Amino acid sequence: MIEINNITYTYANNHLPAIAEFCAVFNKGEIAAVTGKNGCGKTTLSKLITGILRPSSGCILIDGENITGMSLFNIGQRIGYIWQNPNRQLFCPTVAEEIGFGLRNKGLTEANIMVETYRYLEMFRLSAKKEAHPLLLSLGEKQRLALAAVLSLGAPYLLLDEPTVGLDVRCRRLLGTELRKLAEQQNCGVIVISHEQDFVRRFCAREVVM
Amino acid sequence: MTLTNLDARIKLLMLVAVSSVALLVQRPLTLAAVLFLTLILLLLGGVDHFKVWRQTRAMISIIAGIFLIQCVFCRDGLPLITIGNMTLITTGGFQMAIIVALRLLIIVSSALIVLTGDLRDYLLALRWCRLPYEIVYMTLAALRFIPLLRDEATSINSAMQMRGYDFKSVKWKQRIKQYMAMMLPVTASALHRAVQMSIAMETRAFRCMPNRSQWRSLKFAHRDIIYVLIFFALLIAILLLLK
Repeated sequence: MIEINNITYTYANNHLPAIAEFCAVFNKGEIAAVTGKNGCGKTTLSKLITGILRPSSGCILIDGENITGMSLFNIGQRIGYIWQNPNRQLFCPTVAEEIGFGLRNKGLTEANIMVETYRYLEMFRLSAKKEAHPLLLSLGEKQRLALAAVLSLGAPYLLLDEPTVGLDVRCRRLLGTELRKLAEQQNCGVIVISHEQDFVRRFCAREVVM
Repeated sequence: MTLTNLDARIKLLMLVAVSSVALLVQRPLTLAAVLFLTLILLLLGGVDHFKVWRQTRAMISIIAGIFLIQCVFCRDGLPLITIGNMTLITTGGFQMAIIVALRLLIIVSSALIVLTGDLRDYLLALRWCRLPYEIVYMTLAALRFIPLLRDEATSINSAMQMRGYDFKSVKWKQRIKQYMAMMLPVTASALHRAVQMSIAMETRAFRCMPNRSQWRSLKFAHRDIIYVLIFFALLIAILLLLK
């Protein structure tokens, strides 16, 4: 369970907090949506949960462990994060290597890395582009690749910031189905930050409005 | 009066004057006095002391490195430190090292004067100096890109760590390789952003006319004149008394 206890965060050179005394709980095995108006602090919340930003006050617990002071490497083992802008998480020279990057860090054998990479390339319809440079893909393809790269890590929690931006209807449905499968079959806790009410109503069990 | 309220043209003039003096003067004592004047200017001008330290901290190790190199490799003058038959540092080398270090410190601290103002004011100041507005905008855009690029690099670094890459546990060679891999998306993003920005500006009639009017304007106040007169009086006094 991810527990957010009374967190406040104020950006440097800003008087007003981006998030003030916010509390929420996200459970394993469910897809929860975080919605709210533009600028209400949804992306800031996602960065706080993943430890990229540290709260000014309050704390965040993942399965009872306080993430304050934890390294990003350690938080990354517990929660997979997909950024709003896919360009910010693609850095490998080919699409296949991008998916294999996390698997290699996890210490999988080369054979297993190949199998998993091809599985995710197929799943996200990226097989034809496996040798292409990630930065040369279209926005939708980049989004799919970022999803594949993070999903392949199999973290117990997943946080997706606006994952449906740039995806066509088929990919959106595929993403929703895949997330549901992850939540139901692997007991993964999924948090989706989205503006798309249709996706939220169809795939999310709970909605947290900021 | 704080430096923030000072006219941008005056600040640029002060920066040029102090940097030129730093490059032209050869005497360590004069350079030390100019450095003292610049630091006094910064501290009395309402600049955050912590900010001054943060901005110069990174430069101190570089300046110390240059100081050492100058000490060891400049062989003029008499021996100052010798080990056996080998002369490590000479008087000429030591003096040159002090001059170079002081010059760099003056340039770094005088650059902090510019950080006290709004970038748009410097743009107007450069336009007032009759620089073509295309070049002025290009400079401004380049300066505005720096924090964006830093954010981008930080994000990619975080994404790598979150996908299981532990920078602390890998060897330095591997770490350098990974930092190099990070440079490509950052550079690509900067180029992409630059192209998008230039298209956006040109679609909004930028460079359509040879001249361009400005929304804001700079006006000299009496206090600006008094400030600049006192500053130049002190600078000239230092140059004359310690020549």
